[in-house]
Amino acid sequence: MVRIKSRYLLCEINVTDKSRLLLLDDRAVMTAVRTAVARIHGDYGAAQCIIGVSVKYMNAHTGMVFLRFPKRCYKLLWSALPFITCMETRGQKIPCFLNCLHVGGTIRTCQKFLIRYNTQQLHRLLPKCKNEDEKHVRTALLKCLLPGETRETSAEEADSEEDEVV
Amino acid sequence: MSVFMDLNLSYTEDKSSLQRLIETAAQLGYSTVAINYTFELTKKKKEVPKPAQIKELFEQLPIVQGRSRPIRVLNRLTVVMSESSHFRSTAPEYRHFDILALQPTSEKLFHAACMTYDVDIICVIVTEKLPFHFKRGSVNGAIDRGVMFEISYAAAIRDSTMRRYTIANAVNLVERSKGKGMIISSAAERALELRGPYDITNLALLFGLTDQTAKEAVSSTCHSVVRHAETRRTGSGIVCTTKVCTETSDQQGAPVDADTCEAPAAKKHKTAASEGVTAEEGGAKATSAL
Repeated sequence: MVRIKSRYLLCEINVTDKSRLLLLDDRAVMTAVRTAVARIHGDYGAAQCIIGVSVKYMNAHTGMVFLRFPKRCYKLLWSALPFITCMETRGQKIPCFLNCLHVGGTIRTCQKFLIRYNTQQLHRLLPKCKNEDEKHVRTALLKCLLPGETRETSAEEADSEEDEVV
Repeated sequence: MSVFMDLNLSYTEDKSSLQRLIETAAQLGYSTVAINYTFELTKKKKEVPKPAQIKELFEQLPIVQGRSRPIRVLNRLTVVMSESSHFRSTAPEYRHFDILALQPTSEKLFHAACMTYDVDIICVIVTEKLPFHFKRGSVNGAIDRGVMFEISYAAAIRDSTMRRYTIANAVNLVERSKGKGMIISSAAERALELRGPYDITNLALLFGLTDQTAKEAVSSTCHSVVRHAETRRTGSGIVCTTKVCTETSDQQGAPVDADTCEAPAAKKHKTAASEGVTAEEGGAKATSAL
């Protein structure tokens, strides 16, 4: 058996106003992607976008999205993503842009990357903490490990570089 | 992960939006950015803009995503040239900028920019149909001299017509240059017009670049632009003159500074070489002009 191969793009939705992220849902992202592809690549692109393209996961709090594209045309579809400037949801237009962080062959590698990325983000935020309580919570968060994750970050980094299919 | 650079962030008067722009660039993983000042010689405006001090913008520069170093911010001047007199290569005002770019608007000027002018970047017009054709000779000449071509993508994001012109002009250039010596930068005015480096490498495939050259267009080619700019400012990278800070330096006007101190940088090197004085090689040696 040969499975149908696809590529998973881990994208971050960047908005100026973080609170408006919560308004977004996966359908809004999907529509934005479809319209952008149709605008850039015309009917051909729109046709590629019908089967095998979906939003696999969406976290409205951090703005992380997993997009699934068929492997044969993921570059074509990806090249339309920079032209997304806003997303429409519930009659509101939210100006934003997608920033691709990782391209993976399976959801698992993407998830691994995302966990590592989020840990990095916490490390970045830690020096900016204002009061002691915040610091306490953040350090506690950093200490706890998710199942399957090891402390050997350097070894893990080397592994995931190979997984990356950019 | 390689080092990414974005050598064109448009300068805006609004400090907070410029700050946000640089912060977003750092968050996206660009480790070097350049703030771009456009200078067009018209009847109304004849002053070359003065670069803002980066220290005034930030007390502490934002840390680059995925690295532990703060972002590096350069200043860049783009001279829009519609006549050959618009660009004076020895103008002392140009010396305040780290990178010098030129935007020629006719074929003759394009050829001259490629072959003779001492600049780092030649900007390709992306907002309108190209008024001339790229000649292979001049393009190759520029690549041999280490002058790079720049395509900016922010206009393409803003508007559909611009997008067509951007892609058309970029494809045209890539056809002539085979993708060598190209950099892709943002020319973003707002933070939302920036895009991540991986998105840009993929977007560059639309311009006809290969995977390899597309990646180079946001990393190693930009690096060589910065290096080229450094050597241009420091007399072939051998001699560098720096000003020793004294109390009087604050009272002097900036152009005077440049004349007395920085202008002879290249000349000094030449005379030193011709007289047979051994110029100290292998890096910059500071010789104080005061």
